[in-house]
Amino acid sequence: MGESWFHKEFLTPRRLLFNILFYGSHIFFFAYGWHSQATNKKLAGLNSLKYSVWSSRGAGLVLAYDGGLILLPMLRNVIRVIRPKLAWAFPADENIWFHRQVAYQMAFWAMVHTTAHYVNFLNVERTQIRKETALDIHYTQAGGITGHFMLLVIVLMYTTAHRKVRQQCFEAFWYTHHLAFFFMIALYSHATGCFVRDSTDPDYIKSFPFYSTEHCLGYESWRFIIWVGIAYFGERVWREIRARRSTNLQKVLIHPSGAMELRIVKPSFKYTAGQWLFIQVPEVSRWQWHPFTITSAPEDPYVSVHIRQVGDWTHALGERLGAGPSVVAALTKAAMKGSEKDDKDSYVGMRGDFVELDTATSSSPLPMVRIDGPYGAPAEDVFNVEVAVLVGAGIGVTPFASILKHIWYRQRKGNMGCLKRVEFFWVCRDAPSFGWFQSLLQEVEAAQTDPNFLRINIYLTQKIGEDMLWNIAINDAGAEYDPLTLLRTRTMFGRPDWKSIFGRMRQAIETGQYLPGSSSQLKTTVGTYFCGPTPLANAVKEAALASRTGHVDFTFAKEHF
Amino acid sequence: MGNFIWHDWARLVSIAACVYAIWACYWGFFYRKFFWDFVGGTLRDPGGLQAPKNQAFFIDIIVKFPVIQIIVFLHAFFLLALEWPLPVLKKLPIHRSLALRVVLLILQSFLSILFYQGTNATIYGTIAAFGYTRAIMMGETMEVAKENRGSREKA
Repeated sequence: MGESWFHKEFLTPRRLLFNILFYGSHIFFFAYGWHSQATNKKLAGLNSLKYSVWSSRGAGLVLAYDGGLILLPMLRNVIRVIRPKLAWAFPADENIWFHRQVAYQMAFWAMVHTTAHYVNFLNVERTQIRKETALDIHYTQAGGITGHFMLLVIVLMYTTAHRKVRQQCFEAFWYTHHLAFFFMIALYSHATGCFVRDSTDPDYIKSFPFYSTEHCLGYESWRFIIWVGIAYFGERVWREIRARRSTNLQKVLIHPSGAMELRIVKPSFKYTAGQWLFIQVPEVSRWQWHPFTITSAPEDPYVSVHIRQVGDWTHALGERLGAGPSVVAALTKAAMKGSEKDDKDSYVGMRGDFVELDTATSSSPLPMVRIDGPYGAPAEDVFNVEVAVLVGAGIGVTPFASILKHIWYRQRKGNMGCLKRVEFFWVCRDAPSFGWFQSLLQEVEAAQTDPNFLRINIYLTQKIGEDMLWNIAINDAGAEYDPLTLLRTRTMFGRPDWKSIFGRMRQAIETGQYLPGSSSQLKTTVGTYFCGPTPLANAVKEAALASRTGHVDFTFAKEHF
Repeated sequence: MGNFIWHDWARLVSIAACVYAIWACYWGFFYRKFFWDFVGGTLRDPGGLQAPKNQAFFIDIIVKFPVIQIIVFLHAFFLLALEWPLPVLKKLPIHRSLALRVVLLILQSFLSILFYQGTNATIYGTIAAFGYTRAIMMGETMEVAKENRGSREKA
């Protein structure tokens, strides 16, 4: 790790503010819950239990707060709507991170709350301030039953949500996480046992919420937090309804590299470049939704996603579409031959074309698909900056397919907003595995009229053998197209030196060479949009922000999967 | 279904059970109670449940002297060290034994249900033991811990 924990948590202003607000509010609720219990004259009986009851009530209030917060970052559609307006206030794309922070807090306060109650109930039994045993409260009353149930759900949900398990088997995580439904019901009904009361016996009534608030003196926190639960439930219902709107899988194209391109027509589906969607194919799996980046531009008459057959589900989908491993292997072989021939003839570089699956001859028609989305990505605001630096690493280039296409469409219309220049960086281990992306880049590159507008920089980080080295050294010299990517742009080797890249860019902007017509009085914003692994993101971010000066502002945004 | 590796998941549940057991034992030292004293116990006011005479043995080892709590405390620490794992234990072959874990977890679950605070540790421990049993049934094995290869480059 580059920076120390202390530096990250305390010396970064935004993070520090978050820490103060987040942990501060937790401590505030704990203190308030404690205080209002300890000073409540009506609850003098309970207060004879002293510290244990005070801390259990404080922690209980914090848990209610967390129970409200935990669903907030999961309101995907709400976040998508509000993020353009509130992007400055909070990082909308860090929603899963926030969800996790709340979950950690929940585990901690659940520990405090449960421990305190174990002491409470034992002391109730010993002092007999209520004529019941500890185990009565634990296992026969609503509070105890729902509490133990929630603890068990926490164990199951947290263990299956661990990164390792989630990556091995996403389904286990996905299905287990739906226990949240029962967890929330247990949370909202946790206080129905009326443990916090000033009467000897719980004061139950016939009407909702089935206990009288005259003698049951809990915080009634469920009245506040249940709205988030209802909103989330509504969101899930809405997603289901929206997913059922007419969706038609129009075409399946197999790219020589093995990627399947699904072209889907859904008139009700509106999106902007760089967003992603969930896709479901009921015939492959009834319940699973899989996230994919949209690779078509909003101007295209269809929505497309590129799917590589890497996992269980994508393999099964490939089989179903008639693009099984044998088909792809044959295609790839043909394509490799094609590209070799092309190279020899130094003909216009083409890596072999894609093949459209013929649905008429295949035994079954194309399956029904359902899509849900779109969901946000920072690259939407690419047109609000003068210079856009797009950095894609590995599979992280996919959102830029849509963005580059979109830029291309806008360019043709002459409607570019502030955007004057685009620097596209693609860092990957081995370029040939992303053949489909190369063909897209070719299109975009070929369409450029202004040679300075779009610059494509490709960095290949794999270790190069001696043979390859000679190959490149000899074939590359003087060839019109790069031997590896078949683009006009040269491939560079090794990892990019971000500091010098951003440094040079800043210099060029300041001296006015980079952006023709822009004088140094005007403030120029260079927006960096990154998609890829976190360590690289940090390196890029650090370099970008370090290059800030009065006239040139560098911003950074990262997309998550 | 994807490739669900049972022993990887069971390890996490086992860690949860161990941490819960350690914390439960810590509180069990101060608030001592035999969990099963409601079977035939009499409720006194004040004083709470008094276990019947035939449970005297358990009262001795849980309430008079927290023997069970101490045993579970140490046991859970050992199991946690095995699961986390502690670097020392990582090299030993017992670290890779799934059967040993099942035995230890069942033992821990049995002991922790004896005292008041330990019931959830029992539930989680049993779930973890189930997970490991399933892993054994599926023929899963734990890989030998790999040497840290990143530090020295091959010449």
